[in-house]
Amino acid sequence: MDKSIIATEHKQESDNVINGHTVDVNEVAEPYSVDASVSETSFSEPRTEMNTQQWQRLSPIAILYFAAKLITTLFSNVVYIAPAVLLSYNEILAHPHIWLPVGLLLFSIMVAVTLLKFYFFQYRLSNGHIEIRSGVFSKTHINLPFSRIQNVKLEQPIYYRPFAYTCLQLDTAGSAKQEAKVVALKVDFAEQLKAEILASYQQAPMTEAAAETDKSTQPSVSDSAEILLNRRSLKDLVIHGISSNRVWIFLGLLAPFLDDIAEYGVRAFFYLGIDIEQLLTVADKPWWQVGLFALTLTLLALFTVTLFSIAGAIISFYNFTLHKIDDRYIRRSGLLTKHEVTMRLSRLQMVVKQQDWLDILLKRINLKFEQSNANMQNIQPGAHNNKIIVPAIKYHECQALIADAYPNNQLMSIDYQSISKHFLLRNIGYILLPIFMLLSIFVFVIEKTMLLWLISGIFSVLTALIYCRWRRWGFAQDEHYIYIRKGLLGVDYYCFPRYKVQQTSIKQSWFSKRKALASISLILASGSQTVPFIDESLAYDWVDEALRVVESSGKSWM
Amino acid sequence: MSALNPEHIDLSHTEPSQITQNNFTNHGVDNLVAPSVKQLQQKGIARNYAQANRYLRLSTTLVLISALAIVWWLAPQQDFISINARLLSLFPVVILIIATLGFVVTLYGTYADKVKFYALREHDISYSSGLIFYKTVSQPILRIQHVELKRGPIDRKIGLAKLQVFSAGGALHTFEIPGLPIAEAQKIRQFILDHKDSNRHG
Repeated sequence: MDKSIIATEHKQESDNVINGHTVDVNEVAEPYSVDASVSETSFSEPRTEMNTQQWQRLSPIAILYFAAKLITTLFSNVVYIAPAVLLSYNEILAHPHIWLPVGLLLFSIMVAVTLLKFYFFQYRLSNGHIEIRSGVFSKTHINLPFSRIQNVKLEQPIYYRPFAYTCLQLDTAGSAKQEAKVVALKVDFAEQLKAEILASYQQAPMTEAAAETDKSTQPSVSDSAEILLNRRSLKDLVIHGISSNRVWIFLGLLAPFLDDIAEYGVRAFFYLGIDIEQLLTVADKPWWQVGLFALTLTLLALFTVTLFSIAGAIISFYNFTLHKIDDRYIRRSGLLTKHEVTMRLSRLQMVVKQQDWLDILLKRINLKFEQSNANMQNIQPGAHNNKIIVPAIKYHECQALIADAYPNNQLMSIDYQSISKHFLLRNIGYILLPIFMLLSIFVFVIEKTMLLWLISGIFSVLTALIYCRWRRWGFAQDEHYIYIRKGLLGVDYYCFPRYKVQQTSIKQSWFSKRKALASISLILASGSQTVPFIDESLAYDWVDEALRVVESSGKSWM
Repeated sequence: MSALNPEHIDLSHTEPSQITQNNFTNHGVDNLVAPSVKQLQQKGIARNYAQANRYLRLSTTLVLISALAIVWWLAPQQDFISINARLLSLFPVVILIIATLGFVVTLYGTYADKVKFYALREHDISYSSGLIFYKTVSQPILRIQHVELKRGPIDRKIGLAKLQVFSAGGALHTFEIPGLPIAEAQKIRQFILDHKDSNRHG
């Protein structure tokens, strides 16, 4: 088996990595009795090193994980062949001598694949490296030095919970391929491993930009306790479910199936003795009755969707806690699968304070701590891997959290400067209005006056929206931070320190140049932020200042 | 084109530990200018880049047009495949549209390629372009993760290279300077690498 392993990710840096770093002994010194073969090192290195001399298999519980993963991948692919299966449903049922063996064969293949995957998954800890071999046909060998690991995440699916197992996911800043996941570890072993990895990262020689004075003065990891920063109750989650965009995301996901769902609904009502199609036939009913029906149906649909949204919020945020230990934020949440995300304060790229229109009414805020999304590819849906979202918090809680992350920050209080009115002129005057005029002339010529009303309605709604957009767009800066406000009906506030900027750009069109206007983009590791239609000289000032701070401070962005 | 001399820049005083707000400088590599993106010492990209691009665009248009013309001319004379007569009658229109588009694109490209500039300063590199929509992108060297020189077949033929600079800003925001003479491109790359080294071990 060894010969067939293709070492895809092999970094040999064992000589300079972590020799003799000192993790606080009282925490890690007890022998690891978790796994029989996890033995203490016999080298003359400090006893704090975690070593498993031989390759380890996972606990058999991991079979569950591989099975679940296989089933989910199958299901997400089954969507494509589902219509074919549904169409020939009856025909398939009529021939059990065909589908029975096929089904059995598929099932046994699935079982075999799961077992093989489990069998070929091995890991080893040695000299501050973690090595993982996996794969049945295409084999992968990952070798990660602890010092390269940026992020440690614990993920506990519901079926692991009775047995106190967890998945340990390790991220590196580099390529997405270099991330590793140890699929089943005992919870306490995983916790110890996590502590050690994080500690070794702190003490490893800095290979990134050198001037990180803030890190060298760090106290040792294990001597301070976790401080609870925030906790969300069920009530908060319900509010978050109601106000969050999830409704529309959900509708979007449902869109391809809406037809079927509607048909199913109509049929269901029909069995209950209500003929919706007849109700909806407008001709022989007074208008108020039709209106009332439409309203009821809409409300009913909204209500259902909101229920789903609340369920979604509870599933992903149940028992939400945000802790801080030294410079690390730890988010724990999840109803079915428990997620634990750890983020170092230095990794934080930007704070986003989000309020949808409902949030504004309910006086709640969603606060996002955004991290680099350089390796976006490996985000599993629903895991919110790279962000920490604190849902539905109140103003004072938001204030406290922001102040904790970015001291001397004026996100909640600073005056925002609005962008130029040419934004309105450009979007309404030069784009929307000509289209509207052309359409109205066209409609006028073909003499469909009813359509004219419709077009005017759409035009005024769009105009109002553009105006809202302009009203929301604002920007401000102080000594350390840049603040941007934008939104449409809701409002989002973005705040980041200047030295996090990766790249700047200034854009001007021929027209805006004559008006001495420009738009700037400040590109961060978490995405780009744009402010359009501001004073040309101001734009250059902002860019120059951002570049100056980045280049003169020499501070690392992560 | 004046040569770029990274050796002449004294990088020793740019070590981050020593930079304070007072002695931070960010002069143009060739010249001393105030550190504003507005007054960059800009250099145009290679002349033959615009030329090669023009020929490329023209020939692409010509190839497309002649291919369509051949199909239009041959189609009625064969009987392997039957082609709808109305579809065939559309061909002249399509050819005309492609010809016009090709002409406009070539004309626009010819002028747009003339306003592509780059500027190197002690701590950042900038690229500006655009005829109607003008854009200046600046990339601090400190934030660069890696540098690449890309050379397609045409670039190799005429001795040019495209410089690509990657930062953590993501693939969408890859900083790119096309049409650099290969020697110049290599110098810039070396300048960036030296700069990073001086920062790292400083």
